[in-house]
Amino acid sequence: MHPFGDLSAYLDNALSTEARASVQAHLDTCAICRTRLADLRATARLIAALPMPVPSRSLVPRVSVPVWLAPLRTFATFATGAALFLFLASAVISYFPRAASSTAAGAPAPNAVSAPQASGAGGAAEASPSSQGFAVSAPSAPPKVAASDRSLAAASATPSDAAKEVGRQDSAGPSANTADDRSRRLTPAAESAPFAFLLSPWLWLVLAIAFAALWFAIGRRLRST
Amino acid sequence: MRPEPGGASDALLDRARNGDARAFEQLALDIERPLYRHAARMLGHDDAEDVVQDALLSAWKSLASFEGTSFRAWVFRIVTNRALDRLRSRKRRPELPLDPPSENDDSVSWAEPVAPGPELADLAGDREALSVVEEALATIPADQRAALLLRDVEGFAYEEIAIITSTEIGTVKSRIHRGRLAVRNVLISRGWKGSSG
Repeated sequence: MHPFGDLSAYLDNALSTEARASVQAHLDTCAICRTRLADLRATARLIAALPMPVPSRSLVPRVSVPVWLAPLRTFATFATGAALFLFLASAVISYFPRAASSTAAGAPAPNAVSAPQASGAGGAAEASPSSQGFAVSAPSAPPKVAASDRSLAAASATPSDAAKEVGRQDSAGPSANTADDRSRRLTPAAESAPFAFLLSPWLWLVLAIAFAALWFAIGRRLRST
Repeated sequence: MRPEPGGASDALLDRARNGDARAFEQLALDIERPLYRHAARMLGHDDAEDVVQDALLSAWKSLASFEGTSFRAWVFRIVTNRALDRLRSRKRRPELPLDPPSENDDSVSWAEPVAPGPELADLAGDREALSVVEEALATIPADQRAALLLRDVEGFAYEEIAIITSTEIGTVKSRIHRGRLAVRNVLISRGWKGSSG
Protein backbone atom coordinates (compact mmCIF):
# COMPACT_ATOMS: atom_id res chain seq x y z
CA MET A 1 0.00 0.00 0.00
CA HIS A 2 1.30 3.45 -0.91
CA PRO A 3 2.06 5.76 2.03
CA PHE A 4 0.67 8.83 0.24
CA GLY A 5 -0.50 10.42 3.47
CA ASP A 6 3.02 10.44 4.88
CA LEU A 7 4.77 11.90 1.87
CA SER A 8 4.42 15.54 2.92
CA ALA A 9 5.60 14.76 6.42
CA TYR A 10 8.47 12.78 4.93
CA LEU A 11 9.31 15.74 2.72
CA ASP A 12 9.28 18.03 5.76
CA ASN A 13 11.32 15.62 7.84
CA ALA A 14 8.50 15.45 10.35
CA LEU A 15 8.17 11.67 10.65
CA SER A 16 9.48 9.55 13.46
CA THR A 17 12.62 7.56 12.76
CA GLU A 18 10.71 4.32 12.22
CA ALA A 19 8.06 5.87 9.98
CA ARG A 20 10.68 7.67 7.96
CA ALA A 21 12.63 4.47 7.43
CA SER A 22 9.47 2.69 6.34
CA VAL A 23 8.58 5.39 3.81
CA GLN A 24 12.16 5.47 2.55
CA ALA A 25 12.10 1.72 1.99
CA HIS A 26 8.86 2.04 0.02
CA LEU A 27 10.18 4.90 -2.09
CA ASP A 28 13.15 2.80 -3.09
CA THR A 29 10.82 0.39 -4.79
CA CYS A 30 7.82 2.54 -5.88
CA ALA A 31 8.08 4.89 -8.86
CA ILE A 32 4.54 6.21 -8.32
CA CYS A 33 5.35 7.41 -4.81
CA ARG A 34 8.61 8.96 -5.99
CA THR A 35 6.60 10.92 -8.59
CA ARG A 36 4.08 11.98 -5.98
CA LEU A 37 6.86 13.07 -3.67
CA ALA A 38 8.46 15.12 -6.44
CA ASP A 39 5.11 16.78 -7.13
CA LEU A 40 4.71 17.73 -3.50
CA ARG A 41 8.27 19.06 -3.33
CA ALA A 42 7.74 21.18 -6.43
CA THR A 43 4.42 22.47 -5.07
CA ALA A 44 6.05 23.42 -1.78
CA ARG A 45 8.76 25.31 -3.67
CA LEU A 46 6.16 27.16 -5.70
CA ILE A 47 4.33 28.20 -2.56
CA ALA A 48 7.59 29.34 -0.99
CA ALA A 49 8.44 31.33 -4.14
CA LEU A 50 5.30 33.44 -4.02
CA PRO A 51 6.07 37.16 -4.19
CA MET A 52 6.24 39.04 -0.93
CA PRO A 53 3.32 41.43 -0.54
CA VAL A 54 4.22 44.80 0.92
CA PRO A 55 1.94 46.69 3.32
CA SER A 56 0.97 50.19 2.33
CA ARG A 57 1.92 51.58 5.72
CA SER A 58 3.92 50.77 8.79
CA LEU A 59 2.12 48.20 10.90
CA VAL A 60 4.27 48.50 14.00
CA PRO A 61 2.30 50.39 16.63
CA ARG A 62 4.19 53.32 18.13
CA VAL A 63 4.27 52.14 21.69
CA SER A 64 7.37 54.06 22.71
CA VAL A 65 7.25 57.73 23.56
CA PRO A 66 10.13 60.19 23.22
CA VAL A 67 11.77 61.00 26.53
CA TRP A 68 10.99 64.68 26.11
CA LEU A 69 7.26 64.16 25.75
CA ALA A 70 6.41 63.93 29.45
CA PRO A 71 8.35 67.10 30.38
CA LEU A 72 6.74 68.84 27.45
CA ARG A 73 3.32 67.96 28.80
CA THR A 74 4.29 69.38 32.18
CA PHE A 75 5.45 72.55 30.48
CA ALA A 76 2.21 72.74 28.50
CA THR A 77 0.23 72.37 31.71
CA PHE A 78 1.97 75.27 33.44
CA ALA A 79 2.03 77.35 30.30
CA THR A 80 -1.71 76.94 29.90
CA GLY A 81 -2.29 78.08 33.48
CA ALA A 82 0.09 81.01 33.14
CA ALA A 83 -1.47 82.12 29.88
CA LEU A 84 -4.94 81.97 31.42
CA PHE A 85 -3.75 84.05 34.38
CA LEU A 86 -2.14 86.61 32.11
CA PHE A 87 -5.26 86.70 30.00
CA LEU A 88 -7.35 87.60 33.03
CA ALA A 89 -4.77 90.07 34.32
CA SER A 90 -4.40 91.85 31.00
CA ALA A 91 -8.18 91.95 30.62
CA VAL A 92 -8.48 93.65 34.01
CA ILE A 93 -5.67 96.08 33.21
CA SER A 94 -7.12 96.97 29.87
CA TYR A 95 -10.58 97.55 31.43
CA PHE A 96 -9.73 99.69 34.45
CA PRO A 97 -7.79 102.47 32.71
CA ARG A 98 -10.97 103.34 30.86
CA ALA A 99 -12.89 103.42 34.13
CA ALA A 100 -10.17 105.56 35.69
CA SER A 101 -10.16 107.96 32.79
CA SER A 102 -13.92 108.32 32.88
CA THR A 103 -13.71 109.02 36.60
CA ALA A 104 -10.84 111.42 36.10
CA ALA A 105 -12.86 113.48 33.64
CA GLY A 106 -15.18 114.56 36.48
CA ALA A 107 -13.11 114.34 39.62
CA PRO A 108 -10.52 117.06 39.09
CA ALA A 109 -13.10 119.58 37.94
CA PRO A 110 -14.12 120.81 41.40
CA ASN A 111 -10.48 121.44 42.19
CA ALA A 112 -10.04 123.39 39.03
CA VAL A 113 -13.12 125.46 39.70
CA SER A 114 -12.74 126.06 43.40
CA ALA A 115 -9.08 126.80 43.37
CA PRO A 116 -9.27 130.02 41.36
CA GLN A 117 -12.27 131.21 43.38
CA ALA A 118 -10.60 130.55 46.70
CA SER A 119 -7.20 131.89 46.06
CA GLY A 120 -7.50 134.17 43.03
CA ALA A 121 -4.63 134.43 40.71
CA GLY A 122 -2.43 132.59 43.14
CA GLY A 123 -5.04 129.83 43.34
CA ALA A 124 -4.79 129.35 39.64
CA ALA A 125 -1.13 128.94 40.09
CA GLU A 126 -1.87 126.39 42.81
CA ALA A 127 -4.38 124.60 40.61
CA SER A 128 -1.78 123.76 38.08
CA PRO A 129 0.11 121.45 40.47
CA SER A 130 -3.07 119.47 41.05
CA SER A 131 -3.45 119.16 37.34
CA GLN A 132 0.14 118.15 37.10
CA GLY A 133 -0.33 115.60 39.82
CA PHE A 134 -3.30 114.08 38.08
CA ALA A 135 -1.56 114.11 34.78
CA VAL A 136 1.31 112.16 36.25
CA SER A 137 -0.92 109.68 38.04
CA ALA A 138 -3.12 109.04 34.99
CA PRO A 139 -1.01 109.43 31.91
CA SER A 140 -3.76 108.61 29.46
CA ALA A 141 -6.16 111.26 30.72
CA PRO A 142 -4.22 114.56 31.01
CA PRO A 143 -5.21 116.23 27.75
CA LYS A 144 -8.89 115.80 28.57
CA VAL A 145 -8.29 116.90 32.14
CA ALA A 146 -6.48 120.07 31.15
CA ALA A 147 -9.15 120.91 28.64
CA SER A 148 -11.96 120.29 31.10
CA ASP A 149 -10.17 122.37 33.70
CA ARG A 150 -10.19 125.33 31.46
CA SER A 151 -13.71 124.93 30.12
CA LEU A 152 -15.25 124.38 33.54
CA ALA A 153 -13.37 127.28 34.98
CA ALA A 154 -14.55 129.52 32.16
CA ALA A 155 -18.16 128.35 32.53
CA SER A 156 -18.24 128.94 36.30
CA ALA A 157 -16.75 132.41 36.14
CA THR A 158 -19.08 135.45 36.20
CA PRO A 159 -18.97 137.97 33.32
CA SER A 160 -17.30 140.52 35.58
CA ASP A 161 -14.62 138.10 36.24
CA ALA A 162 -14.05 137.50 32.55
CA ALA A 163 -11.18 139.92 32.38
CA LYS A 164 -9.71 138.45 35.52
CA GLU A 165 -10.25 135.03 34.10
CA VAL A 166 -8.38 136.03 30.98
CA GLY A 167 -5.64 137.28 33.23
CA ARG A 168 -5.75 134.05 35.15
CA GLN A 169 -5.63 132.12 31.93
CA ASP A 170 -2.66 134.19 30.97
CA SER A 171 -1.02 133.83 34.33
CA ALA A 172 -1.95 130.21 34.62
CA GLY A 173 -1.07 129.60 31.03
CA PRO A 174 2.56 128.80 31.55
CA SER A 175 1.74 126.43 34.38
CA ALA A 176 -1.04 124.70 32.44
CA ASN A 177 1.16 124.51 29.43
CA THR A 178 3.85 122.99 31.59
CA ALA A 179 1.38 120.34 32.77
CA ASP A 180 0.32 119.65 29.19
CA ASP A 181 3.91 119.36 28.15
CA ARG A 182 4.56 116.87 30.90
CA SER A 183 1.46 114.98 29.92
CA ARG A 184 2.55 114.91 26.34
CA ARG A 185 5.92 113.68 27.41
CA LEU A 186 4.37 110.86 29.43
CA THR A 187 1.57 109.79 27.09
CA PRO A 188 3.60 109.14 23.95
CA ALA A 189 6.11 107.25 26.07
CA ALA A 190 3.37 104.89 27.32
CA GLU A 191 1.91 104.42 23.86
CA SER A 192 5.20 103.69 22.20
CA ALA A 193 6.37 101.13 24.81
CA PRO A 194 7.96 98.27 22.88
CA PHE A 195 6.13 95.60 24.86
CA ALA A 196 2.72 97.24 24.94
CA PHE A 197 1.29 94.33 22.93
CA LEU A 198 1.84 92.12 25.97
CA LEU A 199 -1.12 93.87 27.58
CA SER A 200 -3.46 92.54 24.91
CA PRO A 201 -5.83 89.93 26.46
CA TRP A 202 -6.35 88.33 23.06
CA LEU A 203 -2.69 87.46 22.84
CA TRP A 204 -2.85 85.52 26.09
CA LEU A 205 -6.17 83.94 25.22
CA VAL A 206 -4.77 82.60 21.96
CA LEU A 207 -1.66 81.36 23.74
CA ALA A 208 -3.76 79.69 26.43
CA ILE A 209 -5.81 77.86 23.78
CA ALA A 210 -2.66 76.81 21.93
CA PHE A 211 -0.98 75.47 25.05
CA ALA A 212 -4.17 73.67 26.08
CA ALA A 213 -4.36 72.01 22.66
CA LEU A 214 -0.73 70.96 22.97
CA TRP A 215 -1.39 69.56 26.44
CA PHE A 216 -4.41 67.63 25.16
CA ALA A 217 -2.53 66.17 22.17
CA ILE A 218 0.40 65.03 24.28
CA GLY A 219 -1.96 63.52 26.81
CA ARG A 220 -3.66 61.46 24.12
CA ARG A 221 -0.31 60.32 22.79
CA LEU A 222 0.82 59.23 26.23
CA ARG A 223 -2.46 57.46 26.96
CA SER A 224 -2.27 55.49 23.69
CA THR A 225 0.88 53.69 24.80
CA MET B 1 13.80 24.15 8.98
CA ARG B 2 14.99 27.52 7.79
CA PRO B 3 16.34 29.92 10.37
CA GLU B 4 13.98 32.46 11.80
CA PRO B 5 14.22 35.48 9.53
CA GLY B 6 12.90 37.70 12.27
CA GLY B 7 14.53 35.88 15.14
CA ALA B 8 14.14 37.82 18.33
CA SER B 9 17.26 38.21 20.29
CA ASP B 10 16.97 37.20 23.90
CA ALA B 11 18.24 40.57 25.03
CA LEU B 12 15.60 42.47 23.07
CA LEU B 13 12.90 40.12 24.27
CA ASP B 14 13.96 40.52 27.89
CA ARG B 15 14.00 44.28 27.56
CA ALA B 16 10.59 44.27 25.91
CA ARG B 17 9.19 42.06 28.67
CA ASN B 18 10.45 44.59 31.18
CA GLY B 19 8.50 47.32 29.45
CA ASP B 20 11.09 48.65 27.02
CA ALA B 21 8.84 49.90 24.23
CA ARG B 22 11.71 50.54 21.84
CA ALA B 23 12.90 46.95 22.19
CA PHE B 24 9.39 45.76 21.39
CA GLU B 25 9.19 48.01 18.37
CA GLN B 26 12.45 46.56 17.10
CA LEU B 27 11.14 43.03 17.58
CA ALA B 28 7.92 43.90 15.80
CA LEU B 29 9.76 45.60 12.98
CA ASP B 30 11.73 42.44 12.32
CA ILE B 31 8.61 40.34 11.75
CA GLU B 32 6.26 42.97 10.37
CA ARG B 33 6.65 41.89 6.75
CA PRO B 34 6.29 38.12 7.36
CA LEU B 35 3.25 38.77 9.52
CA TYR B 36 1.67 40.86 6.81
CA ARG B 37 2.55 38.28 4.17
CA HIS B 38 0.85 35.57 6.22
CA ALA B 39 -2.21 37.66 7.00
CA ALA B 40 -2.56 38.89 3.42
CA ARG B 41 -2.61 35.34 2.09
CA MET B 42 -5.07 34.30 4.73
CA LEU B 43 -7.43 37.25 4.42
CA GLY B 44 -6.52 39.33 1.41
CA HIS B 45 -4.83 42.69 1.51
CA ASP B 46 -7.81 44.67 2.75
CA ASP B 47 -8.00 43.21 6.23
CA ALA B 48 -4.42 42.06 6.63
CA GLU B 49 -3.02 45.43 7.70
CA ASP B 50 -5.60 45.93 10.41
CA VAL B 51 -5.18 42.39 11.70
CA VAL B 52 -1.39 42.66 11.92
CA GLN B 53 -1.48 46.06 13.59
CA ASP B 54 -4.08 44.94 16.10
CA ALA B 55 -2.15 41.75 16.79
CA LEU B 56 1.08 43.64 17.43
CA LEU B 57 -0.66 46.05 19.76
CA SER B 58 -2.26 43.13 21.57
CA ALA B 59 1.15 41.46 21.81
CA TRP B 60 2.61 44.57 23.40
CA LYS B 61 -0.16 44.82 25.95
CA SER B 62 0.09 41.15 26.94
CA LEU B 63 3.84 40.78 26.59
CA ALA B 64 4.30 40.55 30.34
CA SER B 65 2.28 37.34 30.35
CA PHE B 66 4.29 35.78 27.51
CA GLU B 67 6.33 32.92 28.94
CA GLY B 68 7.49 31.16 25.79
CA THR B 69 10.81 31.46 24.05
CA SER B 70 9.78 32.18 20.46
CA PHE B 71 8.40 35.68 20.18
CA ARG B 72 7.93 35.14 16.46
CA ALA B 73 5.80 32.01 16.90
CA TRP B 74 3.79 33.74 19.61
CA VAL B 75 2.92 36.73 17.44
CA PHE B 76 2.18 34.47 14.48
CA ARG B 77 -0.24 32.64 16.73
CA ILE B 78 -2.04 35.88 17.53
CA VAL B 79 -2.21 36.87 13.88
CA THR B 80 -3.36 33.43 12.75
CA ASN B 81 -6.08 33.26 15.36
CA ARG B 82 -7.31 36.72 14.48
CA ALA B 83 -7.28 35.91 10.80
CA LEU B 84 -9.26 32.70 11.36
CA ASP B 85 -11.70 34.54 13.60
CA ARG B 86 -12.22 37.14 10.94
CA LEU B 87 -12.76 34.48 8.31
CA ARG B 88 -15.32 32.76 10.52
CA SER B 89 -17.16 36.03 10.93
CA ARG B 90 -17.40 36.53 7.22
CA LYS B 91 -20.65 35.42 5.73
CA ARG B 92 -19.70 35.80 2.13
CA ARG B 93 -18.69 32.20 1.63
CA PRO B 94 -20.57 30.19 4.27
CA GLU B 95 -20.57 27.15 2.03
CA LEU B 96 -16.82 26.79 2.43
CA PRO B 97 -15.97 25.18 5.78
CA LEU B 98 -12.75 26.20 7.48
CA ASP B 99 -11.71 22.59 7.66
CA PRO B 100 -13.83 19.91 5.99
CA PRO B 101 -14.54 16.63 7.77
CA SER B 102 -11.44 14.58 8.21
CA GLU B 103 -10.76 11.73 5.87
CA ASN B 104 -7.90 9.36 5.39
CA ASP B 105 -5.05 11.31 3.84
CA ASP B 106 -4.10 8.24 1.83
CA SER B 107 -7.46 8.32 0.11
CA VAL B 108 -7.24 11.96 -1.01
CA SER B 109 -7.40 11.91 -4.77
CA TRP B 110 -4.42 12.80 -6.88
CA ALA B 111 -5.31 14.53 -10.11
CA GLU B 112 -3.61 13.11 -13.19
CA PRO B 113 -2.13 15.27 -15.93
CA VAL B 114 -4.54 15.56 -18.87
CA ALA B 115 -2.32 17.43 -21.28
CA PRO B 116 1.35 17.81 -21.90
CA GLY B 117 2.93 20.81 -20.18
CA PRO B 118 5.90 21.92 -18.12
CA GLU B 119 6.85 19.94 -15.11
CA LEU B 120 6.02 21.37 -11.72
CA ALA B 121 9.68 21.50 -10.85
CA ASP B 122 10.25 23.93 -13.73
CA LEU B 123 7.59 26.40 -12.70
CA ALA B 124 9.21 28.20 -9.80
CA GLY B 125 9.98 31.25 -11.89
CA ASP B 126 6.80 31.15 -13.92
CA ARG B 127 4.68 34.14 -13.00
CA GLU B 128 1.57 32.52 -14.36
CA ALA B 129 2.18 29.44 -12.27
CA LEU B 130 2.63 31.56 -9.16
CA SER B 131 -0.64 33.27 -9.93
CA VAL B 132 -2.32 29.89 -10.17
CA VAL B 133 -0.78 28.89 -6.86
CA GLU B 134 -2.21 31.99 -5.23
CA GLU B 135 -5.62 31.21 -6.63
CA ALA B 136 -5.36 27.65 -5.42
CA LEU B 137 -4.37 28.76 -1.94
CA ALA B 138 -7.41 31.00 -1.81
CA THR B 139 -9.71 28.07 -2.54
CA ILE B 140 -8.51 25.62 0.08
CA PRO B 141 -9.97 25.60 3.60
CA ALA B 142 -8.54 28.29 5.84
CA ASP B 143 -7.11 25.92 8.43
CA GLN B 144 -5.25 24.02 5.72
CA ARG B 145 -4.07 27.29 4.20
CA ALA B 146 -2.80 28.54 7.55
CA ALA B 147 -0.85 25.35 8.24
CA LEU B 148 0.53 25.18 4.71
CA LEU B 149 1.67 28.82 4.71
CA LEU B 150 3.23 28.49 8.15
CA ARG B 151 5.20 25.50 6.89
CA ASP B 152 6.14 26.31 3.29
CA VAL B 153 6.45 30.10 3.51
CA GLU B 154 7.36 30.85 7.10
CA GLY B 155 9.31 27.65 7.73
CA PHE B 156 7.81 26.69 11.08
CA ALA B 157 8.21 23.12 12.29
CA TYR B 158 5.16 20.93 12.72
CA GLU B 159 5.42 21.24 16.49
CA GLU B 160 5.43 25.03 16.28
CA ILE B 161 2.49 25.01 13.88
CA ALA B 162 0.58 22.80 16.30
CA ILE B 163 1.14 25.40 19.02
CA ILE B 164 0.36 28.32 16.77
CA THR B 165 -2.91 26.79 15.57
CA SER B 166 -3.75 25.11 18.90
CA THR B 167 -4.07 21.67 17.36
CA GLU B 168 -2.44 18.26 17.51
CA ILE B 169 0.59 17.46 15.41
CA GLY B 170 -1.40 14.76 13.59
CA THR B 171 -3.93 17.39 12.54
CA VAL B 172 -1.15 19.68 11.38
CA LYS B 173 0.36 16.88 9.34
CA SER B 174 -2.97 16.13 7.72
CA ARG B 175 -3.74 19.78 6.95
CA ILE B 176 -0.38 20.41 5.37
CA HIS B 177 -0.57 17.33 3.22
CA ARG B 178 -4.09 17.93 2.04
CA GLY B 179 -3.50 21.59 1.39
CA ARG B 180 -0.34 20.94 -0.55
CA LEU B 181 -2.04 18.21 -2.54
CA ALA B 182 -4.98 20.51 -3.33
CA VAL B 183 -2.63 23.16 -4.72
CA ARG B 184 -0.83 20.51 -6.73
CA ASN B 185 -4.12 19.26 -8.16
CA VAL B 186 -5.13 22.78 -9.21
CA LEU B 187 -1.83 23.17 -11.04
CA ILE B 188 -2.33 19.81 -12.74
CA SER B 189 -5.84 20.79 -13.74
CA ARG B 190 -4.43 23.93 -15.41
CA GLY B 191 -2.41 21.87 -17.81
CA TRP B 192 0.87 21.25 -16.13
CA LYS B 193 2.02 17.71 -15.88
CA GLY B 194 3.38 16.31 -12.69
CA SER B 195 6.98 15.69 -11.96
CA SER B 196 8.57 12.74 -13.64
CA GLY B 197 10.16 11.94 -10.32
